Amino acid sequence: MDTSPTFSIGPELAKFVVSSGVLNQSFATVRDLHGEIINQNEHRVRHKVSQQSNCTIIAFSSWPGCGKDYILERDLVSSSTPEEKTESFPLFNFLSTKTNPDFSINKAALEHFASIRDRLPNLKSQIDNSKVLIITGNSLGGSVAILFTLWLLETIDFSITKRPLCITFGSPLVVNNGLQNAILKYPTWSSCFLHVVSDQDPFPRVLIAPHNPPATESASQTNVYKPFGTFLLYSKSGCSCFEDSQTILELLMATYSEGPENQNPNQVLELYEKIVEYLSRKVICMDATRLLQWTTPQRADIINIQLAVIGLMGPPQSLQLQGQNNGLDNLITKIEKQETELAESRRQGFDPSKKLNEVKINMANLEWYKKYSKERGMGYYDSFKSGSTQPDITVVGFKKILTQYWVDMVDEAEKKPQKEGASFRTRWLGAGTNYRRMIEPLDIAEYYKGGGQDYIKSRRPEHYKKLEQWLKEKPLSVPNKLKKQNVASNLTEDSCFWAHVEEARISCQLLSSRESSDTEKELKKLRKFENYVYDLMKYYAVSPEIFLPQSSFMQWWKDYEKIMGTSYSSNLSNLMKDYDKYATGSLEIP
Amino acid sequence: MASLKVGENREINTDLIQKAYSLAVKAHNKSSQKSYILEKTGGSSYVIFSFPGYWSENDWYDGEPFGETKINLDLFPSLRSIGIDEHAKVNKVFLQRFVDKISRNQDFRKEAKNEKKQIVFTGHSTGGSVSTLATIWFLEKYWRSDASATSPLCLTFGCPLTGNHIFSHALRREQWAPYFIHFVMRYDIVPRILLAPISSIKHEFQPILQFLNPKSTRASTNTPPEASNFYTNVMKNASSMASHAACSLMGNTNLLLETMTNFTTLSPYKPFGTFVFCTGNRKLVILSNPDAILQLLSYSFQLDNEAECLDVAQRSLQQHFSYGNELKDCFNKLDALLLESLEKLPLSADSTTASSDITTINAALKDLGLSIRARLCLCAAGELEKRKIGNKNSIDLKKADIAMKYLEDYKLSCGRQGLGCYDAFKIQKSTEDFEANVKRLELAGIWDEIIEMLKRYDLPDAFEGEKKWIDLGTKYRRLVEPLDIANFYRHLKNDVTGPYTEKGRPNRYKCTQRWLEHAQRMPAGSCGESCFWADVEELRIKNSSKEGFAPFKDKVLQLEEQAKKWINDKVLDKDVLMENSTFMVWWKKQPETHKLASCIKDIEGFKITSV
Repeated sequence: MDTSPTFSIGPELAKFVVSSGVLNQSFATVRDLHGEIINQNEHRVRHKVSQQSNCTIIAFSSWPGCGKDYILERDLVSSSTPEEKTESFPLFNFLSTKTNPDFSINKAALEHFASIRDRLPNLKSQIDNSKVLIITGNSLGGSVAILFTLWLLETIDFSITKRPLCITFGSPLVVNNGLQNAILKYPTWSSCFLHVVSDQDPFPRVLIAPHNPPATESASQTNVYKPFGTFLLYSKSGCSCFEDSQTILELLMATYSEGPENQNPNQVLELYEKIVEYLSRKVICMDATRLLQWTTPQRADIINIQLAVIGLMGPPQSLQLQGQNNGLDNLITKIEKQETELAESRRQGFDPSKKLNEVKINMANLEWYKKYSKERGMGYYDSFKSGSTQPDITVVGFKKILTQYWVDMVDEAEKKPQKEGASFRTRWLGAGTNYRRMIEPLDIAEYYKGGGQDYIKSRRPEHYKKLEQWLKEKPLSVPNKLKKQNVASNLTEDSCFWAHVEEARISCQLLSSRESSDTEKELKKLRKFENYVYDLMKYYAVSPEIFLPQSSFMQWWKDYEKIMGTSYSSNLSNLMKDYDKYATGSLEIP
Repeated sequence: MASLKVGENREINTDLIQKAYSLAVKAHNKSSQKSYILEKTGGSSYVIFSFPGYWSENDWYDGEPFGETKINLDLFPSLRSIGIDEHAKVNKVFLQRFVDKISRNQDFRKEAKNEKKQIVFTGHSTGGSVSTLATIWFLEKYWRSDASATSPLCLTFGCPLTGNHIFSHALRREQWAPYFIHFVMRYDIVPRILLAPISSIKHEFQPILQFLNPKSTRASTNTPPEASNFYTNVMKNASSMASHAACSLMGNTNLLLETMTNFTTLSPYKPFGTFVFCTGNRKLVILSNPDAILQLLSYSFQLDNEAECLDVAQRSLQQHFSYGNELKDCFNKLDALLLESLEKLPLSADSTTASSDITTINAALKDLGLSIRARLCLCAAGELEKRKIGNKNSIDLKKADIAMKYLEDYKLSCGRQGLGCYDAFKIQKSTEDFEANVKRLELAGIWDEIIEMLKRYDLPDAFEGEKKWIDLGTKYRRLVEPLDIANFYRHLKNDVTGPYTEKGRPNRYKCTQRWLEHAQRMPAGSCGESCFWADVEELRIKNSSKEGFAPFKDKVLQLEEQAKKWINDKVLDKDVLMENSTFMVWWKKQPETHKLASCIKDIEGFKITSV
């Protein structure tokens, strides 16, 4: 076991944010926007675009300054609300993923954002792709900045444009857990949000229930509004960054120190002005963090530092009275757990490349199994279906591991937003296709062996469908000489080939036993299958192993010939006279 | 004769240090045209080269915001990461000055070459950067090739940072870092200047340099009014750089850090060698961990409180010239603390029950103004170093050599059956071939992981210089790469991706090839013997087309020459020449006239029964 301490980067990240100067830069634009003379007839959301040498800054502010109650009065709007009532929801449809079809946004924030809808194209045209972009705003203006950034993210091509940064000062929470989950699934997206919150500002806390701090126990469980992105929490004793959303909810409540003078949005703005200025001066000074005596760092001690930094812990003397401080102790334990879990899950993450070589070994085993079966004269499809030898049983284990890997892989790709998912798919599609062509026949064999019917419609696993669908985005290749010559080492391109064979065999059975009520229908199916095989051969897209003496396909051909009679002639029957030439690529196909 | 302990088994005579400093300062004042001074004292065991500093803005920044440029690999072939082939960066003007004034200077070259005593290179301020480059040049040129030579020593005083993280990485890999000792006063601003981009100090830089220039006739000894702004801007940038580095040291997982990086410009420079920090009250703190040094450069430079800003700003300029007195005082009553095992650093300064060792450390850290958070950063730097060693140990445990043993046996058994292992593997007929394929994939897993770690610089810097690993990598490459190539052409991957050597070659082979080439000082690309089969396959495909032999004659000749050389050098296996190998089957198809004159026939072991 690794017993080394896991460090908390919160204070260091906060220091980096402050020393980089982005807070000063963005706040200056917010202040300028507020300083502008206000025209009474103006929109309730105003904006300002400031072009600077190294970046573009877009700031939003709400007018008239909306108080706490205004935000509280308006609850969530769900994405399933009928469209005519929420004109702006179509703008966020891209945020619904398969696992997350429904989500909600705070109504006040959404109404404000909806009011700038007509200005969106113009705003977007002012973004200079060669410069980095900061989107900012205070209070409800911050909420508009968040929604604007989300709207923008969908349209950005990250391969040519750098990620924007959304910096809010005292924005209320905006989304419910549905939308939070959707955004957290896109790690690069949530990395674009930085929320600055003062310990004296009531607005970011207004939508957290219950409204009477400190409520460290229940706050996170019952609350419908959820944070996302990174929060920079400020108090007189310093600032630190937090990313775990539970921790943020707990700390927002635990750090609140109410002051009557801060109920007015304009006063809150002044508050942030002072904070930004103060932090920027202090960043070149030694920090005053003092703590208990300890010689080697423990995880809990490091959490203590973070809390001390944001003013939750006093100097050592007061900590001696820890007995009276149970709430705080609980909080430390909780945060320690949450932060460790978040960091662990990030580190371990889903790293497909890590397991890839392991997966390749399993594929090598299958290749070997295929070769073994070929030597038995029946092909691995039929060998597996018969299940009569030891290798047929051993291979089940390899198949299981491979299937688990690719089910996870496809699931992961599905969870990602369209763009990130796409690049993910191109990287892994080759190996995925190989897997599908190799393994799906085994699933088909299992299914028909158990007496199943109509695999493609009723039983085919989702992940095969997805893998095939992604491949379809690419064009098919015309066979060249090399492909023909090496057809023996290739897998059948249509991984459902054997399901078609099984269906054709069922049709033959029905016809020969005269069970079928509709002979014409079965014959039509069979002719269709015939053409299908002919096309596969023409493109050299089917493995010559289907012609092995004991293969199901050859069984079908025998049955079919019997039904059709010896005089029957078709494209396929002509080819079947010389099928042994196919394996060497020398079969001439008209 | 007192000496300063700067590391395990490394001590430096304090008289030498003081002498070097006085010569470094003397070099500034020398009015002659010479770009360096060579001091030989009879009876001493060393000679000293000292280099003057330069004092205009253009002597610091050129081009990039931080004035950096790619290193000149002709002069400094070692200054890169080997496997993934990233070149070090270095300050452009310092490099230019070294190239123009020193490395092209015939006198200097001659004097350095013929010197039998230990050479000490020294410099104060930017002179220190030039002496650094001179030392590396000497190491590359003479030390690397001559095992009997005396190692050089580089002593700098108040020297600016000179190279980036790869520069530092490469010096540690070559085991050269111990030859560099940098003395830094706690508040001396010069070693920190390059942490700030020129744009942030543009207004103040010229007057500050004017003040620092020992040659200029100063109107007064008063520091210029720009001092406060200059200090504040440099300190802010140092803090930004250090906090960013600290996040990485602590194993950051928050992607905001990455997003933020686009919104600020971070200095590429990184310390290397051993730093001796002078606390200002006759204590010395010595450390060699580059990550920790960077944190210390920032944290020890901070203000205690805002009120002392002007005072510290003035000191940050004055201390640049106080090395002489400070070192003299320090050496009188040697109070030096060697900071090792950083991960065990005491974090609390208020400890009362601590042992005397800890009390000493606490006192020294307090003198450098290190808060708990600063200590945590140093601690994290120590942990990172420990983690890198842990990573290396975990690779050692994977026993790559055992899996390789199986493949060696496989190769022998193939030979006994009359088919080289390349061809046997390509045909994949027997169970052994299959088992070999599984072993190949297992090994690929181990080596891919190593390469991933190299890319992230997650292994100790010395890793790519370790003979054991270079040998293992070479053995692995020669044994297993042919199997990868066989697999590649068996599955016709060339059809999809193009030739193996261009598109299909895994990094694990490219890296290990570069390791060997670097270790043996051979030109890049000269150890391509493990790709031989891919060359054969490609030529075979081209050659079988209708165009016939003529257009490929040069290529065929080249391939034959290489085969002969590599087989004679015993780096390519003789199974190439087996009767039914892909190579021989192809060769036999070449025109009779060509075959008669071919050099292949001269290879020992060549025999042909039927043509």
